[in-house]
Amino acid sequence: MPASLDSASLEDLAVGSSARVADVSGDDPTTLRLLEMGLTPGVYVRVVGTAPLGGPLELELRGYRLSIRRHDAARVAIAK
Amino acid sequence: MGEPDVSGRPDGGHPPPDAGRPLVVALVGNPNTGKSTLFSALAGIPTRIGNYPGVTVEEKVGRFSHRGRAIDLVDLPGTYSLVPKSPDEQVVVDVLRGRLPGVPTPDCVVIVADATNLERNCFLATQTLELGLPAVVALTLGDAAEEKGITIDVDELSRRLSCPVVRVVAPARKGVGELGDRILAIAGSRPASPQGLARHAAAVDSRHDTAAREAIARYAWIEELLAGVVQRQTPSHRPLAERIDTVLTHRVWGTLIFAATMLAMFSAIFWLATPLMDGISAGVDAIAGVVEGLLPPGAIRSLVVDGVIAGVGGVVVFVPQIAMLFLFVALLEGCGYLSRAAFLMDRLLCGVGLGGKSFIPLLSSFACAIPGIMAARTIENPRDRLLTILVAPLMSCSARLPVYLLLCGAFVPNVAVGFSWLRLPALVLAGMYAVGVVAAAAVALLLSRTVFFGPPQPFVMELPGWRWPRPAVVLERVREAVWSFLQNAGTLIVAVSIVIWALASYPHDADAIAADVAARRGSLAARLAELPAADPDHAELSAELAAFDTEEGLEAARRGAAQRQSLLGRMGRLVEPIVRPLGWDWRLGCAAIASFPAREVVLGTLGVIYNLGDVDPGEEAGASALVRRLRAATWDGTSRKVFTLPVALSIMVFFALCAQCASTLVVIGRETNSWVWPVVTFTYMTVLAWVAAFATYQIGTRLLG
Repeated sequence: MPASLDSASLEDLAVGSSARVADVSGDDPTTLRLLEMGLTPGVYVRVVGTAPLGGPLELELRGYRLSIRRHDAARVAIAK
Repeated sequence: MGEPDVSGRPDGGHPPPDAGRPLVVALVGNPNTGKSTLFSALAGIPTRIGNYPGVTVEEKVGRFSHRGRAIDLVDLPGTYSLVPKSPDEQVVVDVLRGRLPGVPTPDCVVIVADATNLERNCFLATQTLELGLPAVVALTLGDAAEEKGITIDVDELSRRLSCPVVRVVAPARKGVGELGDRILAIAGSRPASPQGLARHAAAVDSRHDTAAREAIARYAWIEELLAGVVQRQTPSHRPLAERIDTVLTHRVWGTLIFAATMLAMFSAIFWLATPLMDGISAGVDAIAGVVEGLLPPGAIRSLVVDGVIAGVGGVVVFVPQIAMLFLFVALLEGCGYLSRAAFLMDRLLCGVGLGGKSFIPLLSSFACAIPGIMAARTIENPRDRLLTILVAPLMSCSARLPVYLLLCGAFVPNVAVGFSWLRLPALVLAGMYAVGVVAAAAVALLLSRTVFFGPPQPFVMELPGWRWPRPAVVLERVREAVWSFLQNAGTLIVAVSIVIWALASYPHDADAIAADVAARRGSLAARLAELPAADPDHAELSAELAAFDTEEGLEAARRGAAQRQSLLGRMGRLVEPIVRPLGWDWRLGCAAIASFPAREVVLGTLGVIYNLGDVDPGEEAGASALVRRLRAATWDGTSRKVFTLPVALSIMVFFALCAQCASTLVVIGRETNSWVWPVVTFTYMTVLAWVAAFATYQIGTRLLG
């Protein structure tokens, strides 16, 4: 489930910039997985890089590096 | 929520272990925390490796003793959470709660936590502590944490978590003794679990479901727990690890380095494994020679030499490839590169219904599908793992190469295509590899849209920090892979080799053989009489006829006749109607049937069927002799050639796509814990191979005349 139109998501964040997570939408195991890996409301996330051809994003949060697909990054809403 | 679940324990706590039996200690922790290294440091080589009952989750148990007390160390699969979303997580929860039949409830738990990212590690740690088992936290990777400017107040952490925390440097065995002391001290105690989750849970809004709310609350609690305990200082210089990472995951440089690494890995395997494999082959032949000398000629000798020794040799020859591949995969995994590779390849693989983690298993299968399929264990998602295992055999393995090389060299015209250095035979060779890849992509795509249809599986993957791979862990992986291969594939292959030997040797009717030899001689003479002396086949056929007058030649002719008269030969003739549409005659059908257990035997079998005796197609002289015979071969009773270009292509396509490796099927069965999937693999690949070979031949003859 994508974030609502009026808020930006992790997918829109430019490489190198950081933001605070506002919310993670969805009710399926993927959302739970994202939350369990630390992508919870309030945490600071930095986009380190992206894989070629529209592949996954590489993020830095809570002191480690995580990669998630763009499709899943779209459900992580970030605070402006 | 927040209350420890103590179901299953009558007194609400943990019964004190009596001093007679070994203590059972469970090792839990996130992946990539050095858990395997700690296991090796404590217990050395595992005493038991297998699967937990009923699931394809690996069980690894080791035994060691500390201060005279025997301890069974259970290395549970690495997980990020105890909320069961995958078979691994389910097993961890079940073992910790004592719910798996036949697996004893742990007396205490060692929670391995990575000092470089304590927040995420505390997620699993706090969940585990809430189970009420006596626990101690082993803090690893302290040196990496120091490099990143992280300091941890271990005493305060211990106080806040209500459990002992021990700093451990597993490779140097520092802290291991203290860890052992703590384990002995806490076993049998009734620990208090840390409180705080319920308080934070109230603050989370109710939009999410229970598990999600708990996860959010837990991290809020962890942030409070670790405030002041973990201090971060920006290090004076960017750690080397981070700088390496930026290059390796860069879209251009990363991809180039990745391609170069893969190329280097495979070249190394070919260069290093081939001499070893040749050495083993030579060794097996030597043993066969010795045994042949010792036993009197007859059925027993043939059974032992051609059946058993050939069968065992056929298994053992795989060992260098498997060992080398697993060595590289373990090294890449140990240093952290494997996840970067998966990261780069994910998009491409998603396109065909797979994921980034399928990359290494599929690539490995180009050398040999067996280690490739075993490498699929790193894919936690069961559907993706199964799909990867099912298409891995389509990657043209090194056993197909001799067939490709021989047929391309013999029947594909050596013309230049475009550039003068680009030759058609080389292109066709590359094309055969492409056939496998395209077929795998198509099958994966089809299966993921139909039989295995489901929501796209998550790719939420940690990119662990760079570290030196631990030799103990790497060697253990290689040892385990080789041993399990030998155990499982070995027994079946030897059995199948003996069956094929029997099929090819019986019934042994001396009269029929003599008649066959005479008939062959007669038809050769007749053909020679019709052929003008200038015809290129004249020389070859004359040579074959002349051979009948030599001892060796007559023996080869008899062996060929024996095989043709045997059950195998009759089966070949039986299936001729099925293989005719592919452009094959019954001899090729014979060779194909014989190579179902192991495709390596096809050229040798063709050699015997065409009266070349014991010729070794692996050697140059043998190969060219076989090529000449094949070129001169005609359909029985006619002068029409069997081996035309479309036929050669159809043979290669068949071999590219057919499941002719019993070892692979056995390994598939073992890795999927069921006999269904090997049957499915064999069936779909054989059907696919037939259809593709049919199309190749029919279209080929129409296009090329």
